[in-house]
Amino acid sequence: MARYFWFIIRSAFSDFRRNKLRTFLTSLGILIGVASVVLLIAFGLGLKKYIAQQFESLGTNLIFILPGNEFQKGGSMSGIGMIGGAKFNYKDVQKLRSIYGVADVVPAFIKTISVSSSSETKPSSLYATTANVFRVRNLEIDLGKVFTESDVKKRSKVVVLGPKIADDLFDNKDLAVGKIVRIGNTGFRVIGVLKPKGGGGFGAPDLDSFIYIPYTTGYMFNPDKNFFAIYLKAVDSSYIPLVKKQAKELLLKRYDENKFSVIQQDEILDTVSSIFNVLNLILVLIGAISLLVGGIGIMNIMYVSVTERTREIGIRRALGAQRKDILWHFLAESVILSLFGGLIGLGLASILVLFVQKYFPAYIDLSSVIIALGVSSVIGIIFGVFPARKAANLSPIEAIRYE
Amino acid sequence: MSIIKLSKVYKRYKIDESIVFTALKNVNLEITNGEYVSIMGPSGSGKSTLMHIVGLLDGATEGEVFIRDKNIKGLNDNEVSSLRNTFVGFVFQQFNLINKLTILENILLPTIYSRKQLKFNPEKRALELLSRFGLKGKELSYPNKISGGQQQRVAIARALIMNPDLILADEPTGNLDSKSGAEVLNLLDELNKRDKKTVVVVTHDKEVAERARRIVNIRDGEIIKDSYTK
Repeated sequence: MARYFWFIIRSAFSDFRRNKLRTFLTSLGILIGVASVVLLIAFGLGLKKYIAQQFESLGTNLIFILPGNEFQKGGSMSGIGMIGGAKFNYKDVQKLRSIYGVADVVPAFIKTISVSSSSETKPSSLYATTANVFRVRNLEIDLGKVFTESDVKKRSKVVVLGPKIADDLFDNKDLAVGKIVRIGNTGFRVIGVLKPKGGGGFGAPDLDSFIYIPYTTGYMFNPDKNFFAIYLKAVDSSYIPLVKKQAKELLLKRYDENKFSVIQQDEILDTVSSIFNVLNLILVLIGAISLLVGGIGIMNIMYVSVTERTREIGIRRALGAQRKDILWHFLAESVILSLFGGLIGLGLASILVLFVQKYFPAYIDLSSVIIALGVSSVIGIIFGVFPARKAANLSPIEAIRYE
Repeated sequence: MSIIKLSKVYKRYKIDESIVFTALKNVNLEITNGEYVSIMGPSGSGKSTLMHIVGLLDGATEGEVFIRDKNIKGLNDNEVSSLRNTFVGFVFQQFNLINKLTILENILLPTIYSRKQLKFNPEKRALELLSRFGLKGKELSYPNKISGGQQQRVAIARALIMNPDLILADEPTGNLDSKSGAEVLNLLDELNKRDKKTVVVVTHDKEVAERARRIVNIRDGEIIKDSYTK
């Protein structure tokens, strides 16, 4: 049996050797298809990893209290539900502080503003919050210092800049500390510049472009004294369910159930991941169209090959080959052709991923390899079986007479 | 012992809905073990059709075909293929070697398709046959790199690899010069005399036909004469 299959495989390779260019061109369709599908999977995986890293870098054991009820686990994130949702205020913050298991409470008011230095004016996001935000959200200081509880109490006109906006406003962030920036008509002293945090890709907020100010100072831009979101940090992860439950009960006393969401970091991550999963699946399916085209290319060439080799089929049949032997010959050729394309496609995708990894955490996992090889084998079988059947069903006498 | 027997065999081809061409008419032929038979006739006489039926490449429209006294009617395609593999060795006018395979691979081809456990070492036997037919050292060459006479000798080696009872040669010298043709005919003689193979040669050439001890003349699909020469 091993001798039989070895012969069939060798026979297929000797045929490919005689038609090198045709073999390459036929495999090209599968090559491109597999490479694009593997790349899309690799980018999808990378994206998920990237998002997870971003979330982790925001701080751990966090619970988010947001307006509206749009953040449902695995659900959509349109933001429409936030409009008309609860408008949190400092009273909520104080009450939430009393919850058992809460280590920190951080309210946040976010507003898009225009900020100017002596030479530049840039759009930015104002982030008015408490002094503990830097600890809770893992924001590390690079230059100068962060604002303190005292600054919050005194409504100090101080700002801490994200490194990107600092660079944008002062050409070099090293020059920012001590300078004055203007938001509206008010001047603020830059007291610190944060370390880079990343983010900002794929429509996510660019944390490095935020301007942090004490929430009390921020009231000048927030006359209603509302907060967009409140972050709770649990003492440790085991307290998260308890904190969530208490927070919900507490807020229900003030707001309708559908006016706010109490969610943990993982749930947001799940929501975001589910969106990217769907997007990635759609992209992979689009990539799979090229696999289909590649398969049709293989089928076409296999039909040509059957016609070209009709006499050879007749000779083999005269020498005792059964129909299934002929079927095996052609099926083996189409599968090898397809697998060949799949392997090269996988190799090409791997090289591209290695190259891209410097800039983006794309990676190829075992499932991508299995999918690439499995799909190309299946394509070889599906698109090879019809020409192979045609070959197998040729009458020996008609085949051997074929000129 | 009868090795092959055709009884009242007809072969008809439908050319279109209304026209049917009868290639063989009421053919009765019995060939016994060890015979050297020529089937002779002009072009279009039905001799090749007869060879295809004897060689199990084609079936009769009517009548019965017996191989070693066993009626082959009712055998399925796989069984007929296996019989072709073990019972008959073909030698064609155009050699019918597969150009992408080496000489050795061509000779081994029937052993690949054998469903039975081989009782011999195929590679060893193939090399012995190559040596016997003066082709030693050519095993890794390709068919289009050797002469026509050599190709036909490879085809004969291939026909012998499964040690069949019957060698069927269809115009075996048709594509060869006279010297190579004579060599091939000598080989067929040798296979009959030394190897005790039953040899059936299909030819239109009287000289070739007369190498056999028995000549079956066929014309318009009918056997018109069946005689012994020696």
